[in-house]
Amino acid sequence: MGRKGIKDKVAIIGCDMTKYGELWNKNQYDLLFEAFQGAIKDAGIKKDEVDASWVGIFYYFTGLSGAMVEDILRLDGKPSTRVENYCASGMDAFRNASFAIASGAYDVALACGVEKLMDEGGSGLPGFKQFGHPLYPTPSAPAMFSMAATRSFHEYGWTKEDLARVAVKNHDNGADHPKAHFRSRITIDQVMKAPMIADPLGRFDCCAMSDGSAALILTTPELAESYAHADDYILVKANAISCQTNFPWYVPQGGPGAEFTHFPATEKAGEYAYKEAGITNPRKEIDCAEVHDCFTITELLNCQDLQFCEKGKAAEELKNGTFNWDGEIAINPSGGLKSFGHPIGSTGCRMLTEITKQLQGRAEGRQVPDAKVGLCHNLGGAFTVCSVTVLGQRD
Amino acid sequence: MPRYLLPRDLIGKAWDFPIVPGTKAIAMEDEDSLTMAVEAGLDCLMGFDPKTVDGLFFASTTQVYTEKDSASLIATVLDMREDIITADFTDSLKAGTTAVSRAVDTIKANKDIKSILVVASDTRAPEPSTMWEYGFADGAAALLIAEGENLPLSIDDYYSVSTNVTGPWKRAGKDKFIRTYEPKMDARFYFESITKVMLEVLKRNNLKPEEISAAAYYYNNPRMHGSVSKLMKFAGGVAQNSVFFQLGDLGTPMPFILLIGAFRRPKPDAKIIMAGFGDGADAILLQVQNRDALRDLGKTRMGVLGHQKSMVSLKNYNKYLDFKEVLEKDRYTRKSSAVLIWRDTASVYKWYGVKCKSCGAIQYPDMLRSCYICRADDQLEQVKLGLKGTIFTYTLDHLVGGNYLDTPVPRCVVDLDGGGRVLLNMTEIEKPEENVQIGMRVELTFRKEHEGAEFKNYYWKCRPERGRP
Repeated sequence: MGRKGIKDKVAIIGCDMTKYGELWNKNQYDLLFEAFQGAIKDAGIKKDEVDASWVGIFYYFTGLSGAMVEDILRLDGKPSTRVENYCASGMDAFRNASFAIASGAYDVALACGVEKLMDEGGSGLPGFKQFGHPLYPTPSAPAMFSMAATRSFHEYGWTKEDLARVAVKNHDNGADHPKAHFRSRITIDQVMKAPMIADPLGRFDCCAMSDGSAALILTTPELAESYAHADDYILVKANAISCQTNFPWYVPQGGPGAEFTHFPATEKAGEYAYKEAGITNPRKEIDCAEVHDCFTITELLNCQDLQFCEKGKAAEELKNGTFNWDGEIAINPSGGLKSFGHPIGSTGCRMLTEITKQLQGRAEGRQVPDAKVGLCHNLGGAFTVCSVTVLGQRD
Repeated sequence: MPRYLLPRDLIGKAWDFPIVPGTKAIAMEDEDSLTMAVEAGLDCLMGFDPKTVDGLFFASTTQVYTEKDSASLIATVLDMREDIITADFTDSLKAGTTAVSRAVDTIKANKDIKSILVVASDTRAPEPSTMWEYGFADGAAALLIAEGENLPLSIDDYYSVSTNVTGPWKRAGKDKFIRTYEPKMDARFYFESITKVMLEVLKRNNLKPEEISAAAYYYNNPRMHGSVSKLMKFAGGVAQNSVFFQLGDLGTPMPFILLIGAFRRPKPDAKIIMAGFGDGADAILLQVQNRDALRDLGKTRMGVLGHQKSMVSLKNYNKYLDFKEVLEKDRYTRKSSAVLIWRDTASVYKWYGVKCKSCGAIQYPDMLRSCYICRADDQLEQVKLGLKGTIFTYTLDHLVGGNYLDTPVPRCVVDLDGGGRVLLNMTEIEKPEENVQIGMRVELTFRKEHEGAEFKNYYWKCRPERGRP
């Protein structure tokens, strides 16, 4: 971290997201257009006030280069950059936009993300026949995280039922969110009996593929005083990324993450962010968090790695209600990836939009009572890239 | 030998044929002549430094390419030197014995070539619903031919005939399955050729049939085997017949496997005859030179017996059709890259990783320039990795390349004996939901991965321990 950091130098003055789902009647251009229009309306600005843009897009078929923004939004040739950093692509777009504001290079910046997955069919993330080396095994995304589940069962004594509670909680939260892809409550029994995707993860342990987009408008706190959300703009307290190996299965014993029971990327990004935000007791100081729940095991391990509870205790804490929307620290009050699906490039911006609205007291789904400080977290690749953003209310 | 056996009664039941007893050895869909040859080569070279072997001959009627040899890839995977001689001997069932004869010639004629590994391997596919199905089986065997002192067994003579047979055949580029139109004529060629070469070798060496302790000659049905033994006037128990009932007609490696089976209780100075048939025949006369050394060879590798003990029977005939890729269905494939395979040959074929000169950590593959553990830059040197290990964690992947093809695939994070952690798919596993475990011991086996770019893409997999020393 630099000597100064960006704490309290960047304000969110508007945000919005589309409905998430299998949106066959919309393309990626519709989605980003709609999220952006919602965000500038929320901020009370015209599109020409945006000085520069960063867009999170993971897949080449969603769109290449920053020119996607120009094509969709027609910003008259303003600078725009596509950001790809696995599942953290959207939050990394936000991070880059934040830096642009904090540096003074621009007055108003757009951070957004979009992904159109469902045009490619629905049986798992596309591209796994093309990625990587032609001979080394390429496990599916659920298979990667399952290897952590197998090991966590072994080390922590967790069971498939412990994982099921994550899915049940998140779908329960998501049932109340008008923009969620899935709005049905489910039972532990349903989760346990669902078909296997990658043992021990079944269908309900895995987030779905989805389409969606989200966008946020950033400016400096000084300028924020003159926009629509002058009284309740949200401040960026910290934004950190940690990158670890793409190949955790090759890390020899003793190397980072070789235990498969924690994610070093999450641990490090959390530490960086807490240091910048000045947070010393995350469990007490953070009121709500959107934590990457691509798979149920991911949420449990992330809660530990973000220091919300002790190592090995996440399943127990979850069972005790610690992570419920009205619990000690609300995890995924929106319903998470489990309810929204995971249009990869957009997810980080969706979480940031969600937490912004939570802190403003205008959550679209379940409002976490008295939420003042919130956290957003993505973990992408093979537990490779983690992005953590801490947001807080203005003074 | 592959892991699986097909009980012949399953074939009989599938087609309402008269039931024939016994089983036959069946390669899986990720095995072919080349992968089984690697397996046999690994077993044969156990305890030898592959870098000291000067050549590799591959014998098969079921070569995986018709242009592009297999011997060169087998030698690469066995981690042999580059300045060696390699050749494929193909198109005839006697290719195995022919390769042994030519190996002896080559060693005799060249002062720089002192040893040649001869590997015979076959995966002959019978046409479903024909009686060929009862016979054709899959297997491989390797013999290390060398000159030197105190060798366990000597090759004393060899003799061949060439005969233009009228069957069976496979037309180039046309026939998937073997054809013939006159099985009686085929049998006549067999009796004539195989007895002629064996009799001639006896005659040339002034040997009487009763002086032969073991005869390992190719046969494809037990009745013909007995007839040849009678024609040759071999004493009872001399003609080796241990193979057909359990393993079937193994093709080119059959004489090798019969020969290796004959070494279980070697007699001192025993004279042994090995013969192969196909468009003529070869007979090779051998003699036990060092009984203890020969017995030790058997003890320090899986050999035929170790493989036989670890084979299991398939439960249904359709699985066999699937293994043989007779059924039309989509199979997992992905992109390939000639450049990557070339650049990463040490890691992907020869099974090398790297060792950090700074902290000693062994890691895989040879791809990155900085150490995973101590982060030192450019301190990594190539190191040969072990072929056994223990599962640290795993999953059973039902979502392979976005398709549900031959799933689940066990993805295993394996800590190799001697260091290094790798990710390997598992093969030869029944009921993976019950049988794959953390802490499970596994062996590595070289297998067909996919056919991206219409190329045979091979890589290593792991399997439950079969007993490789």
